Amino acid sequence: MRVRFPMKHIAWMLGLLVALKAAAPAATGVEGGSLNPSSSADHWAFQPVRYPQVPDQAGGRSGSQSAGASVNHSPIDAFVLQRLTEKGLTLAPEADRATLLRRLSFDLTGLPPTPEEVASFVRDPSPAAYERWVERLLASPAYGERWGRHWLDVVRYTESQGFEYDRLRDNAWHYRDYVIRSFNEDKPYDLFIREQIAGDVLEPITRDGIIGASLLVCGPYDEAGNNQANMTQRAITREEEMEDLVSVVGQTFLGLTLNCARCHSHKFDPISLADYYRIKAVFDGVKHGERPLATPAESKAREDRLAEWQRMSGEAKGVVDRLEHEGRFRAAARRQPQAAVVPGPAPYRSWNFGKSDTTPMGGRLHGGAQATDMGLRLAGSGAFFESDPLDQEIREKTLEAWVDLQGLDQRGGAAISIESTDGSVFDAVVFGEREPRRWTAGSNGFERTRDLGADAEDSGAGTWIHVAAVYRADHSIAVFRNGAPYGRPYTPDGRLRTFPAGKSRILLGKRHTGGGNPYLTGAIRHAALYDRALSAEEVAASFRGGDLRVPLEEALAELSASQRAEREAALERARRAREGLAAEEPVPVSYAGTRFQPAPTRQLRRGDVRTPGDVVTPAALPAIQGLAFEFGLGPEAPEAQRRLRFAEWLTDPRNPLPARVMMNRLWQFHFGQGLVATPNDFGRSGSRPTHPELLDWLASAFVNSGWSIKSMHRWIVLSATYRQASNPPGAGPDTAATASAFAKAMAMDAENTLWWRFPPRRLEAEAVRDAVLAVSGQLNRTAGGPSFRPFEILRFPANAYQPVDKVGAEFDRRSVYRMNVNSGKEPLLDAFDCPDPAVKTPRRGVTTTPLQALSLMNHPFVQRHAALLAERALDEASGEIPEAINVAYRRALGRPPNVKEAAQALAVARERGLVPVCWALLNTTEFVYVR
Amino acid sequence: MSADPSPSNPWIHGPAPVLSRRHFLSNTAGGLGGVALAWLLHRDQARAGTGGEPGVLQRSARAPHFAPKAKRVVQVFCCGGVSHIDSFDYKPALERLDGKTLEGKGENLGFFGQPGRVMKSPYEFRQHGQSGAWVSSLLPHLAGCVDDLCFIHSMFAKSNNHTPATFQMNSGFTLNGFPCMGAWLSYGLGTENENLPAFVVLPDPRGLIAGGSINWTSGFLPANHQGVPFRTQGREPIADLNTPESVPAAARSADLHFLDTMNREFAEAHPGDSAFAARLRSYELAARMQVSIPEATNLDAESEATRRLYGVDKEANKGFARNCLMARRLLERGVRFVQIFNGGAFGSPRINWDGHENLKENHDTQAATMDQPVAALVQDLKQRGMLEDTLFVWSTEFGRGPATQGIGSTGRDHHPTAFTCFLAGAGIRKGFRYGSSDEVGYFVAENQVTIPDFHATILHLLGIDHEKLTFYHNGINRRLTDVHGEVLHGILT
Repeated sequence: MRVRFPMKHIAWMLGLLVALKAAAPAATGVEGGSLNPSSSADHWAFQPVRYPQVPDQAGGRSGSQSAGASVNHSPIDAFVLQRLTEKGLTLAPEADRATLLRRLSFDLTGLPPTPEEVASFVRDPSPAAYERWVERLLASPAYGERWGRHWLDVVRYTESQGFEYDRLRDNAWHYRDYVIRSFNEDKPYDLFIREQIAGDVLEPITRDGIIGASLLVCGPYDEAGNNQANMTQRAITREEEMEDLVSVVGQTFLGLTLNCARCHSHKFDPISLADYYRIKAVFDGVKHGERPLATPAESKAREDRLAEWQRMSGEAKGVVDRLEHEGRFRAAARRQPQAAVVPGPAPYRSWNFGKSDTTPMGGRLHGGAQATDMGLRLAGSGAFFESDPLDQEIREKTLEAWVDLQGLDQRGGAAISIESTDGSVFDAVVFGEREPRRWTAGSNGFERTRDLGADAEDSGAGTWIHVAAVYRADHSIAVFRNGAPYGRPYTPDGRLRTFPAGKSRILLGKRHTGGGNPYLTGAIRHAALYDRALSAEEVAASFRGGDLRVPLEEALAELSASQRAEREAALERARRAREGLAAEEPVPVSYAGTRFQPAPTRQLRRGDVRTPGDVVTPAALPAIQGLAFEFGLGPEAPEAQRRLRFAEWLTDPRNPLPARVMMNRLWQFHFGQGLVATPNDFGRSGSRPTHPELLDWLASAFVNSGWSIKSMHRWIVLSATYRQASNPPGAGPDTAATASAFAKAMAMDAENTLWWRFPPRRLEAEAVRDAVLAVSGQLNRTAGGPSFRPFEILRFPANAYQPVDKVGAEFDRRSVYRMNVNSGKEPLLDAFDCPDPAVKTPRRGVTTTPLQALSLMNHPFVQRHAALLAERALDEASGEIPEAINVAYRRALGRPPNVKEAAQALAVARERGLVPVCWALLNTTEFVYVR
Repeated sequence: MSADPSPSNPWIHGPAPVLSRRHFLSNTAGGLGGVALAWLLHRDQARAGTGGEPGVLQRSARAPHFAPKAKRVVQVFCCGGVSHIDSFDYKPALERLDGKTLEGKGENLGFFGQPGRVMKSPYEFRQHGQSGAWVSSLLPHLAGCVDDLCFIHSMFAKSNNHTPATFQMNSGFTLNGFPCMGAWLSYGLGTENENLPAFVVLPDPRGLIAGGSINWTSGFLPANHQGVPFRTQGREPIADLNTPESVPAAARSADLHFLDTMNREFAEAHPGDSAFAARLRSYELAARMQVSIPEATNLDAESEATRRLYGVDKEANKGFARNCLMARRLLERGVRFVQIFNGGAFGSPRINWDGHENLKENHDTQAATMDQPVAALVQDLKQRGMLEDTLFVWSTEFGRGPATQGIGSTGRDHHPTAFTCFLAGAGIRKGFRYGSSDEVGYFVAENQVTIPDFHATILHLLGIDHEKLTFYHNGINRRLTDVHGEVLHGILT
């Protein structure tokens, strides 16, 4: 039989193949050129990808003839058949429809097909039915969840720091969603690579790019080691971190263990010590940490909007303050004409608290602070008021507040403070901080603070005290209490600080942002900031004026109609500004790492930070022939340039490794074993490909498809090689022939390295759990967002995670949305070989252990879902036990029970109910294996 | 069936698609392990000659490389960093230098980097036993055991930071995710009792050590080799051991029979797939574990004298004492590696040996939990003849510095460049001291012992050449000892 390809009924494939052949010479641009006959050139993996001659394969196998010879073979099959034919073997016949759909469904989505889906597929034997299913599954959101999980294994994705503290990474999930989204969108793999290396600096900068580069930091981080006092040990910690980073890049994209060359040139591969440090230099500016998830354009637009709202709010408040002050002053003068009231000075900003007060607050309450009739109530720990940012620069100034202290033994709370918005610089009127019961002018690091030696405060609760601090241009400071000097004015060592416009604010109740702060307990009626240093007389006048306590209504009555209208208009502007600010959503942050401009990178002898050697320049790997490995960048090249150039080098079509390595992963996740058995090591100590031409054909087709992963899935799952049965059929006209072919193949190639059958595979931990949820009907398909947390956190203060079987829809989401932490293992997933997140796992182990059996037998999750499956089956069978058994089998195994099984299950159900039947189904080998 | 062993490593490649003797045995995991497995594998591989991938090759050559002295190991790990100069490493010079500045030691090695003044030990040192080993008044019970112990006073750790140093003591590497020693032993030797896990971990009842399960992970080794943490309190000794209370025993037994029928028929219908047969076997072993684990952990069977020896009923140390006693029962029943943690995670109040603030107060509290039960374990193993073929290991991640942590403090900071551990039992010289630190216990003075040396020696006693017990992972044939390690022949009998 002559093998025909491509499959003529699939237009896109035909198109692709034409494109492929046309493009073939381009893909082999290096071929025929002068290859450097050095040691690197003769290793297969470093050779350029060559578009291979697809074998013109004569069938020559009895199996396919007798099986009907109706299968259209693809190039993949031609390569496989070529090797099989050499050994006198053939492909196995196609698997039966139910088995095939279950295999395809788990393979592409990690979920079982429903009984209805199986039934409709079995009913429709046309080739197009299978192809439609392939398309449908590839288009399902579950596809990205499935293949994204594979990718997360490779890149050692974790949602906790590991090491001593093992703190949670609340915002790492953006990367998980990015990976899932990228697979679902069929993002071109070269772009996927570029984003994960340098997405944050790849123009045009996108959110996906920023998140993608999380790959560099999604592994463990030694927080304690990075913050310790010993500098040598700290540098060692950093070197270990960089080895992790370089190795994940090398293994994931190149299939090379670059990390081996940290201490000595690679023993097997052409990777020198210098190569390692050149590549390390590419990434030396990458640090762990969170970053805002906004493109530069988004950040700028947001900042502009915020500034405008704040400007508007500040302007309006200024108008209101000015008019109300004028009204109060006039009213006070009218009440007490004989008192010769000195006009109190007008503040730059003031804050009045009281229920009847309609003045805009100009800020926010925190920690249970309340605005009441009796002023701003501050009940202690955590309660404070924070003003909007100040819209003008403040240098010399006066801080003033009316305070009612609740308890004189409290320590360190501030009546009023002006601070830079990061809390690093502040001036404040503080009570009882260093000297008990005394006021001081507090400041950052006590730079402008001096103990005043004044009298201890003795006014009890319910008494309003007026405090003020004046900061003069000559750097001197004077503190006042009830209008009188409090201690002597002084000139501190620290100079007067400037509080910049837009980056400063007023706090009432605490000294500054950050640090372990004490809080003021009591009430504040009125507080003001003056943008100048008041004289002693002005402070005294303010004290007296404030004491007049003119009600707002009385003050407003003093204003003219136009002034009142002006005030109303300003209040309206303030309200609009407040609404505008409230509508601005906070910028999300992601654990995507931060960047800095690193010092020139030095080689380290034996990888030891104590023996630095020569400076190196950022570069790629010279072992890849035909590609410039040097970027022309100096040792001080901008951080971003290094990664951009490295990403270009990686995704250059002449670089043979990324396409080969990815196609091998694809093959492995479909067939359980790669064409190269060591997926992260294509070097000399790794395995050689069993089918090198097939691997190169896949790699060529991949690049020529525009790096489309979904296209390559199609080639693979539509091949006859993929569609083979895994075992000899139990009955049928060809039984004898295929059974004998099976026995012969088994004798010749027990390991199935020639792919003469489809290898059965145990489901991965997550797929087992997801399948249980799917068959019991509980699977919650909510996609994306923060992970569910099936554990309790024992804080001490390091985190330890106690796995807990939590019940609720949130916990019935797919396992890829489980928060995957380092220091706590979930027994069920663990028993099914779910790896440590910190380990780069290109291929999971598969063990069969008594602990695994115990987990599946007794884990409350399995118990619960067995009962739910029983309930569901009974429901769907309208309470008929035999039919319910039928439903349960079809849900769990994708097939009805045979006569014998049905009888056994019925006996069990009659005696002990349907739950034990469902429990047993979830425990069967057939349930946890795909054939 | 192929008589020729496959060219691929079943541990790397997942389920063997085809039944071969070695695959069947291997995939049965902790099941058919032990001496018989080692022998069978050895025989099969020897017959087949060499070939295939590095992992297989090394595996075939691994066990036993020579006659083992020890069949099993118990390791006590005291977390937080036990001060060597206040326990076993007597430094009279500290009394002379008390209150003075420490000179000539280079960069401050402490974690917090607050140099203080030399502080003499708050404990009194005396010589004990025939061997005359110095032990401080901190540990009176262990002082009574010195003639059975072999001290190493020249231990050297790579990190001054708890978790990396702890990881190094457990796995040979300072990073997350490398297989721990117990996992290597399980991988290398299997178990003597298929009804119990090969590698059992007994966490301190006061709390888990920082890093939790990272400290007993199998890393990239197959998951069946990882440590199984036993709960020393509560209903179930291990997770999911018990049949749920809602399921009557007779019913579960019938359910298992039904399941067995299904799995058996499936395996018979797929004769080429050994993993299916292995699954049948795993359910048999699971059922046996349900009996053997409660039996092994039932301390009620112990005599009153034994319980008193360990101090099981003493308030100060009862949880940890129970673990020590349980360790002996597990070892008796063939568990390959038992790891007992003394101390939990870092924080306040301290539940480990991390005496930064006040060394004496901290070490007094910790010693009260550790001293008697550990001494009892040594004595108990000895009186039962088990020390003959059991290796006893006492370890900590690093020591503590001779100067205070900050001037005026009474605490000591971390100290990785010289500290003490001790061994006892199979193949170990009794009443012996190896290596020494300088006059203030700051640097090693002679016979430095690195963690890889320590590990190489432990493997050696189990009959394993540490350079040959390897596992291929992402391009490297990994070893417990990385590329280092020298067996300490000087401490061997």
